[in-house]
Amino acid sequence: MTTDLALSVKDLKTFFYTNKRCNKAVNGVSFEIKKGKTLGVVGESGSGKSVTASSIMQLLPRLSRIEEGSITYRAERGDIRIDQLDRDGAEIRSIRGEEIAMIFQDPMTALNPVYTVGYQIEEALKYHTDLDAAGRRARVVELLTDMGIPLPDKRADEFPHQFSGGMRQRAMIAMAMSCNPKILIADEPTTALDVTIQAQIFNLMNKLKEDHGTAIMLITHDMGVIAELADDVAVMYMGNIVEAGTVDEVLRKPRHPYTRALLESIPVLGRGRDQDIKSIRGATPDAYDRPKGCQFAPRCDFATDACNQMPEEEFITDTHRTMCHNWRELADHV
Amino acid sequence: MLTFIIRRLLVTIPMLLVISFLVYLGLELTPGDAVSHMIDPEAASRMTEEQFDQLREALGLNKSFIERYGIWLMSVLQGDFGHSLSGGVAISTIVLDRLPATLELSVFALVFSTVFGCILGTMSALRRGSVTDSSLTVFGMIGVSIPEFFFGLVSILIFALHFNWLPVGGRLLPSYDSYFDHLPNIILPGLVLSFMMTAGVMRYSRSAMLDSLSREFIRTARSKGLPDWRINMIHGFRVALTPVVVLIGFRLPTLIGGSVIIEEVFQWPGIGSEFIEAVRGADYPLVMSIALLSVFAVLMASLIVDVLTALIDPRVRLS
Amino acid sequence: MTNAALNRKFDKIRAREEAGLNKPQSGSRALRKLMGNPLAVAGLVIFLIILLASIFAPLLTPHDPLKIDLRAMLQPPSAEHWFGTDRTGRDVFARILYGGRVSILVGLGSALIAAAIGVGIGAYTGYRGGWLDMIAMRISEIFMSFPQIILVLLMVSIVGQSLVNLMVIFVLTGWGGMYRMARARMLSLREEEYVQALQSFGVPTVKICYKHILPNALGPIMVNITLTTAMFILAEAGLSFLGLGVPLSIPTWGNILNVAKDLRVLENNWWMWLPVGTVISLFVLSVNFIGDGLRDSTDPTLQG
Repeated sequence: MTTDLALSVKDLKTFFYTNKRCNKAVNGVSFEIKKGKTLGVVGESGSGKSVTASSIMQLLPRLSRIEEGSITYRAERGDIRIDQLDRDGAEIRSIRGEEIAMIFQDPMTALNPVYTVGYQIEEALKYHTDLDAAGRRARVVELLTDMGIPLPDKRADEFPHQFSGGMRQRAMIAMAMSCNPKILIADEPTTALDVTIQAQIFNLMNKLKEDHGTAIMLITHDMGVIAELADDVAVMYMGNIVEAGTVDEVLRKPRHPYTRALLESIPVLGRGRDQDIKSIRGATPDAYDRPKGCQFAPRCDFATDACNQMPEEEFITDTHRTMCHNWRELADHV
Repeated sequence: MLTFIIRRLLVTIPMLLVISFLVYLGLELTPGDAVSHMIDPEAASRMTEEQFDQLREALGLNKSFIERYGIWLMSVLQGDFGHSLSGGVAISTIVLDRLPATLELSVFALVFSTVFGCILGTMSALRRGSVTDSSLTVFGMIGVSIPEFFFGLVSILIFALHFNWLPVGGRLLPSYDSYFDHLPNIILPGLVLSFMMTAGVMRYSRSAMLDSLSREFIRTARSKGLPDWRINMIHGFRVALTPVVVLIGFRLPTLIGGSVIIEEVFQWPGIGSEFIEAVRGADYPLVMSIALLSVFAVLMASLIVDVLTALIDPRVRLS
Repeated sequence: MTNAALNRKFDKIRAREEAGLNKPQSGSRALRKLMGNPLAVAGLVIFLIILLASIFAPLLTPHDPLKIDLRAMLQPPSAEHWFGTDRTGRDVFARILYGGRVSILVGLGSALIAAAIGVGIGAYTGYRGGWLDMIAMRISEIFMSFPQIILVLLMVSIVGQSLVNLMVIFVLTGWGGMYRMARARMLSLREEEYVQALQSFGVPTVKICYKHILPNALGPIMVNITLTTAMFILAEAGLSFLGLGVPLSIPTWGNILNVAKDLRVLENNWWMWLPVGTVISLFVLSVNFIGDGLRDSTDPTLQG
């Protein structure tokens, strides 16, 4: 099984230090990204999913750091402990872009407005490949064509604000895929786009998976996206993964109250007007004023006294795990 | 690009017209009769009331305000601003005579402050929170707090009077043979004029850099594994350049105004010191003309800055 | 900061957090941040010292700033005259203290009035928009096309020198900057949803504009007031130094400096001009420190 792994994360803790406070944004998270498969990470804002992605690429902002845990990138040349690499060092820089790449939520702000799209794609090629100027230009046009952008030769010389939203995101994906990375991290890639464009982008990403065997880590708050694209899923809440497993297991047989509540709060197309949509009671706790023990307990229908202690991870099957004391009661209910 | 320039000109020209009208109105409001100021007082005392009237008629002073404004505007557009009240020299001659001196100082200060200000400001931003940054920030604050003329006086005291390294003032002394002899004279007034402007540019470029470096595209650049210098300079500084250029453009009036006081302190024979003389001597035509010309200079400079901004920022170009 | 120093800082914060020592802070965040900024606090202290010294001048010196005593001309600092005397025997220290009253009045006073006018107009026309806004913009552009000194001197040459004239002229040349800033803030704030809600409830325009939106723009407004004050104090000093500001009969900081135009005074009688210039610099510096501190503390996007 291990030869199928692209990246393993174990007990990762990343803390933020702003306003003289310590925010435990990621508080002990473990997961694996498999080659040629998509891991979906789902959770609401503040759950720590984006921070996890930034940690993997050592792209954290100045006032934060990886506290504990390990991030192991399974490269051909051997295992590399990313968490131990120097944040600004040459080694992580050679990995970024070439072996692990990332696409961001809002392509308008994520692209530099004063340089052409072609220039920005070429940059990655300049630093990670040996292509000469003509070769780079050819590759840029090739990438834009692959991503389904019409008139790629003309478009390469245009500026980001001359592109439409969907095209910009394709250009970003082109930029990320330019050096054929082993792992692609997509941080809410379609949140800023129309639903129709979303479908196109997802088809694109599936194609990448099939054509290049890229491992994808897809971060989203939308369960529907998970159902569409993911092979495995991890549900995050307040800095922990509360449930993880294959998409089939987690979506059909949720074993954590939060997962279940999330699934019940989504309206389903076709079920008609009087669907039973339940919103999750209560509100996400303040990161600086957390509940003791299980973070979801105050909002949970299955909470008991045991929940004052942080639950351990329990395995239901080989692949399906949950962090809940009372998951068996939940199983009976569902 | 051409349409951009034309559009800007179309906005600027009416502005200039309105201002010229206001300036002429101001001239009307000032005390004194234009005629009595244009003639040698001795001759004036010997003239009769009739001859005064004839002169007024000949000079067109009996026409309506609007007509006189129109005539004045026509001659201004041809470069004729009338005559100074003290000595009767043509204003255009005075201005052209003293323009090189002011240009020397202003261009020196502009170039110096832009280059040094950007370098120091960028350094400060990149080493944020360090001792370098703190001391440069405080230094910058001091720079914008000291009155320019006071700084000028202190530097005259130290560098000219005490150490005798540089001349005390003036521009072209009789003993100078070639143009380059007077370069040491530029140093003190030029540096003093630049001082405040450099501090200002340093603060803008620092905050522009910090703002630019906190944007999303920097994260994208880092995620591509680019080296630090490229991220900071080619991505960070290049985007910070736009607001810095815009802000320098806003400060141009201050630069032109600042040279007025510095020219006075250092006895620099430029348009600024001429302006002060004119105000002191109630030489209204000269005062108004120089004021109008300074507005013209500011508006033209703003236009150039706008064109520059469009050149460096494609978003402006295409809007 | 270096990585090692940052790491140590983080370790400290984490330890405190885990010991439960970090409580959510109560009270105004802005005020807390301001007081925690050493430069701003220093600025506040210096500002108050100079301001109070000027106000309570009679308590600090027995000398009359206008009293001429030709027997005591050009004396260097001594026990009797702390900053020495000037060319007509007047006590320099007293002149600086009393002069401060006028300079601060002109600087701070004009800034506050210019702010009131500029913000008042900018908030309203910015909110209403339309031709009213356009006219106000054009007018402010006309004023701002002139270099400030040139415009001021222009007006001085027309209306003559006096204390009141100078303040009026300063307000006329300075309102534009405040107007632009208030208008810009208003343009961005009026698109907020709560404004639409207020409009749909039929709240009158004036009330929305001044009571609901304006308080949200207070931060930049206060920062701008400090900057404008600094600008006016420097302008008054410069003009009076040239002899074209406040009439020479009234002592102001700039007027006192007027004597330094004479190179002999510059070289030989340092006490007549050096202390005054330093006081001006310190005062403006303190105002700038306060302004910077205000900017840091009222800007919600700055991380700390």
